[in-house]
Amino acid sequence: MQNITGTLKTDREALKKLLPAEDILEFPFTSENGCEFICMFTDPITDKELLGQLVARPLFRYDGDKSAEEIGKRLAFPEQRKEKSLDKLAEEILAGNPVLLWEGMDEGLIVGTKKVFIRAVAEPPTDVTIKGPREGFIEDVKVNTSLVRRRLKTGELKIEYLKVGRRSQTFVAVCYLEGTSVQKVVDEVKEKLNRIDIDIIPDSSYLARFLSSRPESLMKQVGTTEKPDIFCAKIAEGRVGILVDGSPIALTVPYLIVEDFQSSEDYYVPSYRATFTRLIRLFALIVAIYLPAFYVAAQIFKLQLFPIKLLLTIAGSIRDLPFSPSLEMLLVLIVLEILNEASIRMPKYVGMALSVVGALVLGETAVSAGFVSTPAIIIIAFSGIGLYAVPNLIEETSVIRLVMLLVAGSVGTYGIILATGFIIFYLVTTDTFGSPLVAPFSPVIGKDLKDSLVKYNLASLDTRPVSLGSKNKRRLRHE
Amino acid sequence: MNKISTRQLCFFLAAIVPVGKIVLLPTNLIYYSKNNLLFPAAMNIILQAGIVFLVLLLAKENRSLYELISDKLGKVTAKIILTVFSIFFFYAAFMPLLEQKILVQGIFYDTLPSILAFSSFFAFSAYLCAKPLSSLGRTWDILAPLSIVAFIGIFFLSIGSADFGALAPALQSGAGEIFRGFAFNMGWFLDSAILLSFLGKIDYQKGLPWKGLISYLAGGAAVLFFLAIFYGVFQETAINQEFAFSKIAKYFPGIETLGRIDFIFVYSLSLVMAFYAILPLQAGIDLLQQSYGKAEKRLLPALLSIAVNIVMLVLTLLFDHRYISLNFLINQDLFWIFPIFCLLLPALMLLFKIRRHREPQ
Repeated sequence: MQNITGTLKTDREALKKLLPAEDILEFPFTSENGCEFICMFTDPITDKELLGQLVARPLFRYDGDKSAEEIGKRLAFPEQRKEKSLDKLAEEILAGNPVLLWEGMDEGLIVGTKKVFIRAVAEPPTDVTIKGPREGFIEDVKVNTSLVRRRLKTGELKIEYLKVGRRSQTFVAVCYLEGTSVQKVVDEVKEKLNRIDIDIIPDSSYLARFLSSRPESLMKQVGTTEKPDIFCAKIAEGRVGILVDGSPIALTVPYLIVEDFQSSEDYYVPSYRATFTRLIRLFALIVAIYLPAFYVAAQIFKLQLFPIKLLLTIAGSIRDLPFSPSLEMLLVLIVLEILNEASIRMPKYVGMALSVVGALVLGETAVSAGFVSTPAIIIIAFSGIGLYAVPNLIEETSVIRLVMLLVAGSVGTYGIILATGFIIFYLVTTDTFGSPLVAPFSPVIGKDLKDSLVKYNLASLDTRPVSLGSKNKRRLRHE
Repeated sequence: MNKISTRQLCFFLAAIVPVGKIVLLPTNLIYYSKNNLLFPAAMNIILQAGIVFLVLLLAKENRSLYELISDKLGKVTAKIILTVFSIFFFYAAFMPLLEQKILVQGIFYDTLPSILAFSSFFAFSAYLCAKPLSSLGRTWDILAPLSIVAFIGIFFLSIGSADFGALAPALQSGAGEIFRGFAFNMGWFLDSAILLSFLGKIDYQKGLPWKGLISYLAGGAAVLFFLAIFYGVFQETAINQEFAFSKIAKYFPGIETLGRIDFIFVYSLSLVMAFYAILPLQAGIDLLQQSYGKAEKRLLPALLSIAVNIVMLVLTLLFDHRYISLNFLINQDLFWIFPIFCLLLPALMLLFKIRRHREPQ
């Protein structure tokens, strides 16, 4: 590792060699006492106005001692640090923090005048609530940690920063409550993060893959949230949170599948309402996955599943269809997925036109032209809506729905049952960071069932989830 | 994977085990014992409950069957005994698999399905057989509530159509018929033998044998109640009503307007049944793994699982339309094999219980 020599010219050249990019600028100036300074910075991400006012201007008139302490005192800027290593100084320059070098000094002074382009803290579009906090994480890790710190004003909250990504040098903040989170999980998270040897980390979802014990698994093994209130509640339960610079989506581990059936609002409304909503979400998800499959299986293999009047209605609507039931359903499902994908990516001003095309042309006209039947459209529409009752599982459930549909078309209802058996077995045998994915249902943990698909009154939830293994069990003390 | 807890084992005995006894056992019992079908069933249940109790006493040793036998009789003898047991399990698994096959053909399809339909069961079976037996504990946590809800649903939909007077007069047909019903239906009661393969995988807690006994009897009571309703609904024609659990609720008045809502429960039970039907194969493979494999390596069970399931698939296809003659051969002519492996040998295993000398006070 190369260090600062104290000879300004040599050090400048060494840094230039390390950072040959054109947007690395240097600003040489001389103070009143004749001391030569060079300030090196990255042009687009350094606040040059702040640099001029709080660093360069005081030093122009400086005529005191050349030691780093004295010069540091003259700067009216609290965020400054000394560093000898040229590599570290280069890293700081790339991060947006200018480095000040001067003749005869064997240390560089890092000044924290980084320019941060951030959007305002706003309600996340993926997690809207009617009652409850509306703040959401943004892309800046510092702002995100401040949102967390504001909610957890305790010295037990530990935020440890790591750098991940050879080229991106992305800041990753590991947040946990000391004494509440399981130390083994904290260590495992840090170890897995330190082991990552990838060039860039554009988003937290990259890290989620590396944190999973089965990265190729269909089911996700890391929880995600965009809301600081949920993030803090999860940390307070004993989980470990991970914030990634450049990503508004925070990660939490261990992840339990039941988390995705809960929303933050469940804790701000009466418990009976929260229970009802959670059961509705489960019902919607089951119907969304199984309805298209059972409809196809019943048509091909077991007509007896339909009540006789419904059977006659269906028979009337499918009479002249050119496709088999499974192909028809598959086509409608693919159209739905295309519409879904297009409506997310499409510019807003053509969104309305898309809705008209989707609803009228593809829907009504396709039925009247005899390409698809009305029941198929209704079933897929209901399935499409139902899947979004649990939006955090959409990636997994949409694939499962497709698999179920293919199985139903080829093997029938028995295939659906076997596929369900396979999924059940797969889920119950998966652990994430020592916690069973399907807890508290498998293994059954009585205490944790109080906040699972049913939700007890807040006063009854006096212990932390047993499935997370926290030693600090009590969270609510009764008088 | 964690060991099987007391709760999971009780779930298995109370809610999973009864599912295997509501497909073709009811008609088979009626064939031999007519309206006295409850007596032979109860005899089998009580005997099995007793043996289950004895096997669970062995669970206290926290040692596998192989370890228990090899400690007393040496490794070679242990390997021979476990291999014989494995062969028995593969033999005993065949009828439940055929039963499963004709059930699938009977209730899941309007017309005779292609080979693909039931072959998928063996893919599922091969996957499960390659996994450690202890992983089943967590599966039972999910399946047991499903099974209980489905049983309650079926009872609720069918009890109104049942005339329990049809079961009377009891014992009119005589002891001989009841005994034949008891002896020739032992093939459906493999539970105590299967439990032997779980030894060493159970997290023993105080009172486990009693809890296991009560759970088994509770599950048995559910089976007896089911049999009573089944005979009460179909009476003289019950002998022709195969796949009892899929037909028992079809006279529920709401079905005309709502359709076959009982199929929600039937399909739930079929899911549980798929896991239960594979259990003898899993037990057989696990015993071979105990004898010849290494605990941490899963290659042997994976290979065995593929081989055994391919053989079973071929046999199932070969004997596709010979269920009745095979039933007579296995459950009637060769019925004596079952009491040896499901009653006598499991009870004798208690001899391998390690005696502990009491410490002087």
